[in-house]
Amino acid sequence: MGYDPAKLPPQVRGLNAITGAMSLIAILLIVQIWLLTATLESYLAGRHGAALPAAIISGVIFLFCFGLYRFVNSIDRKVR
Amino acid sequence: MRSPDSSSPLWKDEFSVNTADERYVTRRQFSKFLVLTSTAMFVGQLWILVKSWFAPEAGALPKQVIARRDEVDIGEVKLFAYPTEADHCILVRTAEDKYVAYSQKCTHLSCAVYYSRASNKLECPCHKGFFAVDDGRVLAGPPTRPLPQILLETRGDQLIAAGIQGA
Amino acid sequence: MFGFEFYVDPSRCIGCRSCLQACEECETHRGKSMIQFDFIDRPSTISTAAYVCWHCDEPTCAQVCPADAIKKGEDGIVHSSLKPRCIACNNCVLACPFGIPKMMEAEQQMMKCDMCYDRTSVGKRPMCATVCPSQALAYITPQEAAKRPTRPSNVFNFGNQTIKTKVFMMVPAQFDSLSLDVADYIWEGKENA
Repeated sequence: MGYDPAKLPPQVRGLNAITGAMSLIAILLIVQIWLLTATLESYLAGRHGAALPAAIISGVIFLFCFGLYRFVNSIDRKVR
Repeated sequence: MRSPDSSSPLWKDEFSVNTADERYVTRRQFSKFLVLTSTAMFVGQLWILVKSWFAPEAGALPKQVIARRDEVDIGEVKLFAYPTEADHCILVRTAEDKYVAYSQKCTHLSCAVYYSRASNKLECPCHKGFFAVDDGRVLAGPPTRPLPQILLETRGDQLIAAGIQGA
Repeated sequence: MFGFEFYVDPSRCIGCRSCLQACEECETHRGKSMIQFDFIDRPSTISTAAYVCWHCDEPTCAQVCPADAIKKGEDGIVHSSLKPRCIACNNCVLACPFGIPKMMEAEQQMMKCDMCYDRTSVGKRPMCATVCPSQALAYITPQEAAKRPTRPSNVFNFGNQTIKTKVFMMVPAQFDSLSLDVADYIWEGKENA
Protein backbone atom coordinates (compact mmCIF):
# COMPACT_ATOMS: atom_id res chain seq x y z
CA MET A 1 0.00 0.00 0.00
CA GLY A 2 1.06 3.59 -0.44
CA TYR A 3 1.14 4.41 3.27
CA ASP A 4 2.48 2.82 6.42
CA PRO A 5 -0.45 1.86 8.67
CA ALA A 6 1.74 2.15 11.73
CA LYS A 7 2.37 5.82 10.97
CA LEU A 8 -1.28 6.88 10.72
CA PRO A 9 -2.33 9.35 13.41
CA PRO A 10 -3.70 7.69 16.54
CA GLN A 11 -7.20 9.01 15.92
CA VAL A 12 -7.42 7.22 12.56
CA ARG A 13 -5.91 4.02 13.92
CA GLY A 14 -8.26 4.05 16.88
CA LEU A 15 -11.23 4.63 14.61
CA ASN A 16 -10.21 1.66 12.44
CA ALA A 17 -10.00 -0.53 15.53
CA ILE A 18 -13.37 0.67 16.79
CA THR A 19 -15.04 0.15 13.41
CA GLY A 20 -13.65 -3.38 13.18
CA ALA A 21 -14.72 -4.26 16.70
CA MET A 22 -18.24 -2.88 16.22
CA SER A 23 -18.65 -4.79 12.94
CA LEU A 24 -17.58 -7.94 14.77
CA ILE A 25 -20.14 -7.31 17.50
CA ALA A 26 -22.86 -6.86 14.90
CA ILE A 27 -21.95 -10.11 13.10
CA LEU A 28 -21.84 -12.06 16.37
CA LEU A 29 -25.21 -10.60 17.26
CA ILE A 30 -26.72 -11.85 14.00
CA VAL A 31 -25.32 -15.32 14.74
CA GLN A 32 -26.78 -15.20 18.23
CA ILE A 33 -30.20 -14.15 16.96
CA TRP A 34 -30.19 -16.98 14.43
CA LEU A 35 -29.18 -19.42 17.18
CA LEU A 36 -32.14 -18.31 19.27
CA THR A 37 -34.61 -18.84 16.43
CA ALA A 38 -33.15 -22.27 15.64
CA THR A 39 -33.28 -23.33 19.31
CA LEU A 40 -36.84 -22.11 19.64
CA GLU A 41 -37.82 -23.99 16.52
CA SER A 42 -36.35 -27.22 17.83
CA TYR A 43 -37.90 -26.74 21.28
CA LEU A 44 -41.34 -26.23 19.81
CA ALA A 45 -40.91 -29.39 17.77
CA GLY A 46 -40.41 -31.29 20.99
CA ARG A 47 -36.67 -31.80 20.75
CA HIS A 48 -35.36 -30.61 24.08
CA GLY A 49 -31.82 -31.81 23.66
CA ALA A 50 -30.59 -28.70 21.88
CA ALA A 51 -31.45 -26.25 24.64
CA LEU A 52 -28.39 -26.69 26.84
CA PRO A 53 -25.59 -26.57 24.22
CA ALA A 54 -27.32 -23.62 22.56
CA ALA A 55 -27.51 -21.74 25.84
CA ILE A 56 -23.82 -22.33 26.49
CA ILE A 57 -22.80 -21.17 23.01
CA SER A 58 -25.08 -18.16 23.31
CA GLY A 59 -23.43 -17.32 26.62
CA VAL A 60 -19.97 -17.55 25.06
CA ILE A 61 -21.03 -15.25 22.21
CA PHE A 62 -22.51 -12.82 24.70
CA LEU A 63 -19.29 -12.74 26.73
CA PHE A 64 -17.31 -12.12 23.56
CA CYS A 65 -19.63 -9.25 22.61
CA PHE A 66 -19.25 -7.81 26.08
CA GLY A 67 -15.47 -8.00 25.87
CA LEU A 68 -15.51 -6.24 22.50
CA TYR A 69 -17.78 -3.56 23.97
CA ARG A 70 -15.25 -2.93 26.74
CA PHE A 71 -12.51 -2.76 24.10
CA VAL A 72 -14.46 -0.22 22.03
CA ASN A 73 -15.04 1.92 25.10
CA SER A 74 -11.40 1.90 26.16
CA ILE A 75 -10.10 2.83 22.70
CA ASP A 76 -12.81 5.47 22.39
CA ARG A 77 -11.80 7.06 25.66
CA LYS A 78 -8.14 7.06 24.77
CA VAL A 79 -8.39 8.36 21.27
CA ARG A 80 -11.54 10.42 21.04
CA MET B 1 -35.43 20.12 22.77
CA ARG B 2 -35.68 21.15 19.14
CA SER B 3 -38.89 22.81 17.96
CA PRO B 4 -40.05 22.50 14.35
CA ASP B 5 -39.48 26.17 13.67
CA SER B 6 -36.06 26.30 15.31
CA SER B 7 -33.92 28.92 13.61
CA SER B 8 -30.57 27.23 14.06
CA PRO B 9 -29.52 24.57 11.50
CA LEU B 10 -29.95 20.90 12.39
CA TRP B 11 -26.25 20.21 12.71
CA LYS B 12 -25.94 22.87 15.37
CA ASP B 13 -28.58 21.17 17.46
CA GLU B 14 -27.27 17.66 16.98
CA PHE B 15 -23.61 18.54 17.52
CA SER B 16 -24.42 21.05 20.21
CA VAL B 17 -21.70 22.84 22.17
CA ASN B 18 -23.64 21.97 25.32
CA THR B 19 -22.92 18.43 26.46
CA ALA B 20 -26.48 18.21 27.77
CA ASP B 21 -27.99 18.80 24.31
CA GLU B 22 -25.85 16.55 22.16
CA ARG B 23 -28.14 14.31 20.16
CA TYR B 24 -25.96 12.23 17.91
CA VAL B 25 -25.63 8.63 18.94
CA THR B 26 -22.09 8.01 20.05
CA ARG B 27 -20.23 4.85 19.17
CA ARG B 28 -20.23 3.89 22.82
CA GLN B 29 -24.01 4.23 23.07
CA PHE B 30 -24.56 2.16 19.93
CA SER B 31 -22.18 -0.56 21.11
CA LYS B 32 -23.97 -0.59 24.44
CA PHE B 33 -27.28 -1.05 22.62
CA LEU B 34 -25.85 -3.98 20.65
CA VAL B 35 -24.55 -5.64 23.80
CA LEU B 36 -27.93 -5.21 25.49
CA THR B 37 -29.56 -6.93 22.51
CA SER B 38 -27.00 -9.72 22.90
CA THR B 39 -27.96 -9.98 26.57
CA ALA B 40 -31.61 -10.25 25.63
CA MET B 41 -30.84 -13.09 23.21
CA PHE B 42 -28.88 -14.91 25.88
CA VAL B 43 -31.71 -14.51 28.37
CA GLY B 44 -34.06 -15.92 25.73
CA GLN B 45 -31.83 -18.97 25.40
CA LEU B 46 -31.85 -19.42 29.18
CA TRP B 47 -35.62 -19.16 29.16
CA ILE B 48 -35.88 -21.95 26.60
CA LEU B 49 -33.47 -24.01 28.70
CA VAL B 50 -35.57 -23.57 31.83
CA LYS B 51 -38.76 -24.39 29.97
CA SER B 52 -37.24 -27.54 28.53
CA TRP B 53 -36.26 -28.70 32.03
CA PHE B 54 -39.78 -28.20 33.31
CA ALA B 55 -41.62 -29.54 30.25
CA PRO B 56 -43.82 -32.59 30.88
CA GLU B 57 -42.65 -35.88 29.38
CA ALA B 58 -43.79 -36.37 25.81
CA GLY B 59 -46.93 -38.39 25.66
CA ALA B 60 -47.56 -38.68 29.41
CA LEU B 61 -50.82 -36.75 29.49
CA PRO B 62 -54.25 -37.62 30.92
CA LYS B 63 -56.46 -39.57 28.59
CA GLN B 64 -59.70 -38.09 27.37
CA VAL B 65 -62.67 -39.42 25.48
CA ILE B 66 -63.15 -37.35 22.38
CA ALA B 67 -65.71 -39.13 20.21
CA ARG B 68 -67.63 -42.30 19.40
CA ARG B 69 -66.46 -44.30 16.46
CA ASP B 70 -69.61 -43.70 14.42
CA GLU B 71 -69.94 -40.04 15.24
CA VAL B 72 -67.79 -39.06 12.30
CA ASP B 73 -68.31 -40.22 8.72
CA ILE B 74 -65.46 -41.11 6.40
CA GLY B 75 -63.86 -37.91 5.25
CA GLU B 76 -65.52 -35.87 7.99
CA VAL B 77 -63.91 -34.04 10.87
CA LYS B 78 -64.63 -33.36 14.49
CA LEU B 79 -63.09 -30.50 16.48
CA PHE B 80 -62.21 -31.09 20.13
CA ALA B 81 -59.98 -29.69 22.81
CA TYR B 82 -57.12 -31.71 24.31
CA PRO B 83 -55.39 -31.64 26.79
CA THR B 84 -56.81 -28.28 27.93
CA GLU B 85 -59.72 -26.17 26.72
CA ALA B 86 -57.27 -23.84 25.02
CA ASP B 87 -55.62 -26.53 22.85
CA HIS B 88 -57.83 -26.95 19.83
CA CYS B 89 -57.50 -30.23 17.90
CA ILE B 90 -59.00 -31.80 14.80
CA LEU B 91 -60.05 -35.41 14.33
CA VAL B 92 -60.31 -36.80 10.78
CA ARG B 93 -61.73 -40.15 9.74
CA THR B 94 -59.71 -41.03 6.68
CA ALA B 95 -61.07 -44.53 6.08
CA GLU B 96 -63.55 -47.06 7.53
CA ASP B 97 -61.22 -47.91 10.33
CA LYS B 98 -58.60 -45.16 10.30
CA TYR B 99 -58.77 -42.10 12.46
CA VAL B 100 -56.12 -39.43 12.81
CA ALA B 101 -56.05 -36.42 15.09
CA TYR B 102 -53.75 -33.41 15.21
CA SER B 103 -53.38 -30.15 17.03
CA GLN B 104 -55.18 -27.51 15.03
CA LYS B 105 -52.52 -24.86 15.58
CA CYS B 106 -50.51 -24.44 12.41
CA THR B 107 -46.80 -24.67 13.25
CA HIS B 108 -46.12 -21.51 11.26
CA LEU B 109 -48.08 -18.80 13.07
CA SER B 110 -50.78 -20.77 14.89
CA CYS B 111 -53.72 -20.24 12.52
CA ALA B 112 -56.42 -22.97 12.66
CA VAL B 113 -55.87 -25.64 10.00
CA TYR B 114 -58.85 -27.29 8.34
CA TYR B 115 -59.32 -30.55 6.44
CA SER B 116 -59.85 -30.19 2.73
CA ARG B 117 -61.73 -33.19 1.30
CA ALA B 118 -60.95 -32.16 -2.26
CA SER B 119 -57.20 -32.34 -1.84
CA ASN B 120 -57.15 -34.71 1.13
CA LYS B 121 -54.78 -32.45 3.01
CA LEU B 122 -54.81 -30.35 6.11
CA GLU B 123 -54.66 -26.78 4.91
CA CYS B 124 -53.75 -23.60 6.71
CA PRO B 125 -55.54 -20.71 4.99
CA CYS B 126 -53.38 -17.92 6.42
CA HIS B 127 -50.21 -18.49 4.43
CA LYS B 128 -51.09 -21.56 2.37
CA GLY B 129 -49.40 -24.21 4.46
CA PHE B 130 -50.25 -27.84 3.69
CA PHE B 131 -49.88 -30.88 5.97
CA ALA B 132 -50.30 -34.54 5.11
CA VAL B 133 -53.31 -36.17 6.70
CA ASP B 134 -51.61 -39.48 7.39
CA ASP B 135 -48.70 -38.24 9.51
CA GLY B 136 -48.95 -34.45 9.75
CA ARG B 137 -45.72 -33.73 7.90
CA VAL B 138 -45.36 -30.50 5.97
CA LEU B 139 -46.15 -30.81 2.27
CA ALA B 140 -45.88 -27.19 1.19
CA GLY B 141 -45.81 -23.64 2.48
CA PRO B 142 -44.05 -21.72 5.24
CA PRO B 143 -44.41 -24.16 8.17
CA THR B 144 -41.24 -26.04 9.03
CA ARG B 145 -42.38 -28.39 11.79
CA PRO B 146 -44.98 -31.14 11.34
CA LEU B 147 -48.35 -30.81 13.05
CA PRO B 148 -48.25 -32.32 16.54
CA GLN B 149 -50.12 -35.59 16.37
CA ILE B 150 -52.65 -36.68 18.98
CA LEU B 151 -52.14 -40.33 19.89
CA LEU B 152 -55.43 -42.17 19.67
CA GLU B 153 -56.63 -45.32 21.39
CA THR B 154 -59.83 -47.17 20.90
CA ARG B 155 -61.74 -48.60 23.79
CA GLY B 156 -64.77 -50.35 22.46
CA ASP B 157 -66.87 -47.76 20.82
CA GLN B 158 -64.90 -44.78 22.02
CA LEU B 159 -61.96 -42.86 20.65
CA ILE B 160 -59.60 -41.70 23.34
CA ALA B 161 -56.86 -39.11 23.11
CA ALA B 162 -53.88 -40.52 24.97
CA GLY B 163 -51.01 -38.11 24.38
CA ILE B 164 -49.32 -35.72 22.02
CA GLN B 165 -46.36 -36.52 19.86
CA GLY B 166 -44.04 -33.94 18.36
CA ALA B 167 -44.74 -30.94 20.54
CA MET C 1 -22.29 25.39 41.68
CA PHE C 2 -22.74 24.77 45.35
CA GLY C 3 -24.23 28.27 45.57
CA PHE C 4 -20.98 30.06 44.68
CA GLU C 5 -20.37 32.45 41.80
CA PHE C 6 -17.13 33.92 40.47
CA TYR C 7 -16.67 37.68 40.74
CA VAL C 8 -13.89 39.64 39.03
CA ASP C 9 -13.17 43.11 40.43
CA PRO C 10 -10.28 44.72 38.54
CA SER C 11 -10.32 47.76 40.83
CA ARG C 12 -9.14 45.51 43.66
CA CYS C 13 -6.22 44.02 41.76
CA ILE C 14 -2.87 44.97 43.27
CA GLY C 15 -0.70 43.25 40.66
CA CYS C 16 0.84 40.71 43.06
CA ARG C 17 0.45 37.91 40.48
CA SER C 18 -0.38 35.32 43.12
CA CYS C 19 -3.16 34.14 40.84
CA LEU C 20 -0.69 33.50 38.01
CA GLN C 21 1.55 31.48 40.34
CA ALA C 22 -1.35 29.49 41.69
CA CYS C 23 -2.81 28.77 38.28
CA GLU C 24 0.58 27.63 36.96
CA GLU C 25 0.69 24.85 39.54
CA CYS C 26 -2.01 22.86 37.85
CA GLU C 27 -0.60 19.59 36.50
CA THR C 28 -2.48 19.92 33.23
CA HIS C 29 -0.66 23.07 32.16
CA ARG C 30 2.24 23.24 34.60
CA GLY C 31 4.24 26.42 34.19
CA LYS C 32 1.71 28.27 32.07
CA SER C 33 -1.03 30.22 33.75
CA MET C 34 -4.49 30.41 32.18
CA ILE C 35 -5.14 33.84 33.62
CA GLN C 36 -4.97 36.85 31.35
CA PHE C 37 -3.03 39.48 33.23
CA ASP C 38 -3.31 43.02 31.91
CA PHE C 39 -1.53 46.26 32.56
CA ILE C 40 -4.23 48.84 32.07
CA ASP C 41 -2.06 51.72 30.86
CA ARG C 42 1.48 50.91 31.82
CA PRO C 43 3.09 54.23 30.84
CA SER C 44 0.84 56.17 33.17
CA THR C 45 -0.43 53.87 35.88
CA ILE C 46 0.43 50.79 37.85
CA SER C 47 -3.15 49.52 37.58
CA THR C 48 -3.47 45.88 36.70
CA ALA C 49 -6.32 43.51 36.10
CA ALA C 50 -6.45 39.74 36.09
CA TYR C 51 -9.11 38.01 34.04
CA VAL C 52 -10.31 34.45 33.97
CA CYS C 53 -12.51 32.83 31.32
CA TRP C 54 -15.95 34.41 31.48
CA HIS C 55 -17.77 31.12 30.71
CA CYS C 56 -20.28 32.73 28.39
CA ASP C 57 -23.81 31.37 28.11
CA GLU C 58 -23.30 31.02 24.36
CA PRO C 59 -19.56 30.54 24.12
CA THR C 60 -18.17 32.00 20.93
CA CYS C 61 -15.09 29.80 21.13
CA ALA C 62 -17.26 26.66 21.15
CA GLN C 63 -19.43 27.90 18.31
CA VAL C 64 -16.51 28.56 15.98
CA CYS C 65 -14.60 25.37 16.77
CA PRO C 66 -14.50 23.27 13.57
CA ALA C 67 -13.73 20.07 15.47
CA ASP C 68 -16.55 20.27 18.04
CA ALA C 69 -13.79 20.18 20.65
CA ILE C 70 -15.02 22.82 23.10
CA LYS C 71 -17.95 21.84 25.24
CA LYS C 72 -20.04 23.59 27.82
CA GLY C 73 -21.28 21.43 30.65
CA GLU C 74 -24.69 21.44 32.30
CA ASP C 75 -23.33 23.60 35.10
CA GLY C 76 -22.39 26.36 32.66
CA ILE C 77 -18.62 25.82 32.74
CA VAL C 78 -16.92 25.98 29.34
CA HIS C 79 -14.08 23.48 29.31
CA SER C 80 -10.71 23.50 27.59
CA SER C 81 -10.67 21.78 24.22
CA LEU C 82 -10.94 18.00 24.14
CA LYS C 83 -7.43 16.73 23.45
CA PRO C 84 -8.37 14.03 20.91
CA ARG C 85 -10.39 16.54 18.89
CA CYS C 86 -8.43 19.81 18.98
CA ILE C 87 -6.55 20.50 15.76
CA ALA C 88 -4.85 23.69 17.01
CA CYS C 89 -6.43 25.82 14.30
CA ASN C 90 -6.59 28.87 16.61
CA ASN C 91 -10.17 29.71 15.56
CA CYS C 92 -11.23 30.04 19.19
CA VAL C 93 -8.22 32.17 20.07
CA LEU C 94 -9.19 34.62 17.35
CA ALA C 95 -12.92 34.51 17.98
CA CYS C 96 -13.16 35.04 21.74
CA PRO C 97 -14.28 38.63 22.38
CA PHE C 98 -12.34 38.64 25.67
CA GLY C 99 -9.18 37.03 24.27
CA ILE C 100 -9.13 34.20 26.79
CA PRO C 101 -8.16 30.93 25.03
CA LYS C 102 -4.46 30.12 24.88
CA MET C 103 -2.93 27.85 22.27
CA MET C 104 -0.39 25.48 23.80
CA GLU C 105 1.83 24.93 20.78
CA ALA C 106 3.86 22.13 22.34
CA GLU C 107 0.78 20.06 23.07
CA GLN C 108 -1.13 21.34 19.99
CA GLN C 109 -4.17 21.99 22.15
CA MET C 110 -6.16 25.02 23.20
CA MET C 111 -6.30 25.41 26.94
CA LYS C 112 -8.05 28.02 28.99
CA CYS C 113 -9.40 28.66 32.42
CA ASP C 114 -11.94 25.97 33.25
CA MET C 115 -12.75 27.35 36.71
CA CYS C 116 -10.42 24.66 38.18
CA TYR C 117 -13.16 22.14 37.44
CA ASP C 118 -11.43 19.41 39.41
CA ARG C 119 -11.80 21.67 42.46
CA THR C 120 -15.12 23.45 41.88
CA SER C 121 -16.95 20.28 40.96
CA VAL C 122 -16.39 19.07 44.52
CA GLY C 123 -17.12 22.36 46.24
CA LYS C 124 -13.62 23.84 46.55
CA ARG C 125 -12.68 27.27 45.24
CA PRO C 126 -10.59 27.80 42.11
CA MET C 127 -6.87 28.28 42.82
CA CYS C 128 -6.80 31.95 41.80
CA ALA C 129 -9.72 32.88 44.06
CA THR C 130 -8.13 30.97 46.91
CA VAL C 131 -4.86 32.91 46.80
CA CYS C 132 -5.95 36.40 45.72
CA PRO C 133 -5.11 38.58 48.73
CA SER C 134 -7.41 41.43 47.76
CA GLN C 135 -10.15 39.12 46.50
CA ALA C 136 -10.14 40.78 43.11
CA LEU C 137 -10.88 37.23 42.01
CA ALA C 138 -13.49 35.93 44.39
CA TYR C 139 -15.53 32.72 44.50
CA ILE C 140 -18.26 33.64 46.93
CA THR C 141 -22.00 33.49 47.41
CA PRO C 142 -24.16 36.21 45.87
CA GLN C 143 -25.08 37.35 49.37
CA GLU C 144 -21.41 37.95 50.15
CA ALA C 145 -20.97 39.82 46.87
CA ALA C 146 -23.95 42.05 47.65
CA LYS C 147 -22.05 43.44 50.62
CA ARG C 148 -19.56 45.16 48.30
CA PRO C 149 -20.09 48.74 47.13
CA THR C 150 -19.61 47.72 43.50
CA ARG C 151 -22.34 45.72 41.82
CA PRO C 152 -21.95 42.55 39.75
CA SER C 153 -22.74 42.58 36.07
CA ASN C 154 -22.61 39.72 33.59
CA VAL C 155 -23.86 41.43 30.44
CA PHE C 156 -21.35 42.77 27.94
CA ASN C 157 -22.08 44.61 24.71
CA PHE C 158 -19.54 44.28 21.96
CA GLY C 159 -20.84 46.57 19.25
CA ASN C 160 -24.13 44.96 18.27
CA GLN C 161 -23.48 41.68 20.07
CA THR C 162 -24.70 41.18 23.60
CA ILE C 163 -22.89 38.53 25.59
CA LYS C 164 -24.16 37.07 28.82
CA THR C 165 -21.62 35.31 30.98
CA LYS C 166 -21.52 33.11 34.04
CA VAL C 167 -18.65 35.00 35.65
CA PHE C 168 -19.54 38.42 37.03
CA MET C 169 -17.56 41.65 36.65
CA MET C 170 -17.82 44.13 39.50
CA VAL C 171 -18.74 47.47 38.01
CA PRO C 172 -19.49 50.84 39.60
CA ALA C 173 -22.94 50.87 41.11
CA GLN C 174 -24.54 53.11 38.52
CA PHE C 175 -23.87 50.69 35.59
CA ASP C 176 -25.86 47.57 34.88
CA SER C 177 -23.97 46.37 31.83
CA LEU C 178 -20.67 47.11 30.18
CA SER C 179 -20.48 48.29 26.63
CA LEU C 180 -17.13 47.68 25.07
CA ASP C 181 -16.27 48.59 21.55
CA VAL C 182 -13.11 46.69 20.63
CA ALA C 183 -12.29 49.40 18.12
CA ASP C 184 -11.98 51.87 20.98
CA TYR C 185 -9.11 49.88 22.43
CA ILE C 186 -7.06 49.42 19.29
CA TRP C 187 -3.86 51.34 19.59
CA GLU C 188 -3.55 53.80 16.75
CA GLY C 189 0.06 54.74 17.24
CA LYS C 190 -0.63 57.99 19.03
CA GLU C 191 0.13 58.72 22.63
CA ASN C 192 -3.01 59.33 24.72
CA ALA C 193 -5.21 58.50 21.71
